[in-house]
Amino acid sequence: MTAPINAQAVMDFLKPRMGARFKTWVNICTHCGMCADTCHFYLANNKNPKMIPSYKVRFLKDILKKKGRVDRAYLEEIYKTVYYECNVCRRCSLYCPFGIDIAYLIYVLRALLNSQGLAPEGLARTVLDYKEFGNQMAITDEEWLETLEWCKEETADELVGLDIPIDKKGAKILYTVNAREPKFYPQDIMEMAKIFHVAGEDWTFPSRKGWDATNLAMFMSDTETAREVASNTFKRAEELEVKQIVVTECGHAYRSLCYEAPLWLGYTPKQPVVHSVELFLDYLKEGRIKLREKLKEPTTVQDPCNIIRNGGLAEKNRLLASMVSEDFRPMKNQGNYNFCCGGGGGAMPMGGEMKKHRLASGKIKAEQIRETGAKIVLVPCHNCIDQIRDLITEYKIDAKAVHFKEVIAEHMVIPKEMTPKED
Amino acid sequence: MPTVEFEGKTFNVDEDGFIDDFNNWNDSWMRHVKQTEGIEEITDEHIKVVNVLQDYYKKNGIAPMVRILSKVTGFKLKYIYELFPSGPGKGACKMAGLPKPTGCV
Repeated sequence: MTAPINAQAVMDFLKPRMGARFKTWVNICTHCGMCADTCHFYLANNKNPKMIPSYKVRFLKDILKKKGRVDRAYLEEIYKTVYYECNVCRRCSLYCPFGIDIAYLIYVLRALLNSQGLAPEGLARTVLDYKEFGNQMAITDEEWLETLEWCKEETADELVGLDIPIDKKGAKILYTVNAREPKFYPQDIMEMAKIFHVAGEDWTFPSRKGWDATNLAMFMSDTETAREVASNTFKRAEELEVKQIVVTECGHAYRSLCYEAPLWLGYTPKQPVVHSVELFLDYLKEGRIKLREKLKEPTTVQDPCNIIRNGGLAEKNRLLASMVSEDFRPMKNQGNYNFCCGGGGGAMPMGGEMKKHRLASGKIKAEQIRETGAKIVLVPCHNCIDQIRDLITEYKIDAKAVHFKEVIAEHMVIPKEMTPKED
Repeated sequence: MPTVEFEGKTFNVDEDGFIDDFNNWNDSWMRHVKQTEGIEEITDEHIKVVNVLQDYYKKNGIAPMVRILSKVTGFKLKYIYELFPSGPGKGACKMAGLPKPTGCV
């Protein structure tokens, strides 16, 4: 347990990461405590001082002082803090009077752990699949294409002329999904195909790797794999000469392609990356999609950290939610200052080891949802939606969580020429 | 590791209530999952899904895609959800004694 760690290796790893900003951030913190109340872990755990964000990054200063001479047990203590007590949601960073990006420092610690071979099994396992298959669930190209064909068959009798284009050169949109959609939730693909069809969109899926836009390597700070995963998508976009890349209702996929990929790749790809929330909002605003009726039951909307605080879509998300609802009830702190659900930063794919921690920290989100009285929670992120569904059960909330695409596909007006004729 | 007692048998389960070892699966486990998943009755169709999942898992070491499940059983997606309301990755895999699928699920 307390096997020594190569101190030189630790320092060699940290050195190139210790630029001016990093040094300032590590040294400037006065432990004023302004970040304490911003953290859902701190609030949900009876204001346990160990959960104060600035305390969680104490290790960095300490390691530098010790010149990297730490042992395995010490790294395991870091692991518990940076994985079990933080969703890297970045809410604390917004409140720091010095502008210290605490979440970034957590990522540096995760990267250090990864360099020493310490990463959550649930995340590390997906890295192997990303490398071999280009997606996080070991789906082969053949299985991917067969699933798309099947999705088309299953929906063909609902909409006349529905197609799922593959490798359509020059299409406007390259659509990318989360591997869980073809693997376990093909209805997500079917709903999106219907929306594209009704909107008259010019879109395509790629036939080869690049279609899975998720990037779980990012959460364990495995930049090398993260770069490879993101570059798959941009390669397909280049080859197919599309105008833009649209990402499914996934939070971290959008952030990784839109904001992190340029840093990993060393250049800014020419195809803009668009989240489904933005696309749906445009469709509704432009009248390309019209709703037969709005949701009648009271609704609220989750602000996934990676598309809102870290993605700039706060206003669009809120507007879209209000456009599909008759009785939209924003959460307290709706928008950039909303709380994390407790499922972010890799918490969901970490699996069992994280479960009790995320259910506990999710108490804040559960209370927020309950307070609105909403019966439907709109959730444009896969990890958020799974977590919120678990919270609904755990905290006995009378509500259900849905993606926007499900609501839109169900409530949109189907033009006459697309309506199947009754026999 | 948490345990589940059912019909006089003890099962080790993970945090999500999936059985810890595929080899410890038996009929009692199926009836246990039927209760926790709110399934009214285990029908021949449930058993067909369970058998397909288990055969695939024995051969490949992972759960099949829902497409393969649908193709081999001949059940449409909607019908699989009628059988297992929490879906193929959750309810069906759990009843079949497969480990919880990995990744964003």
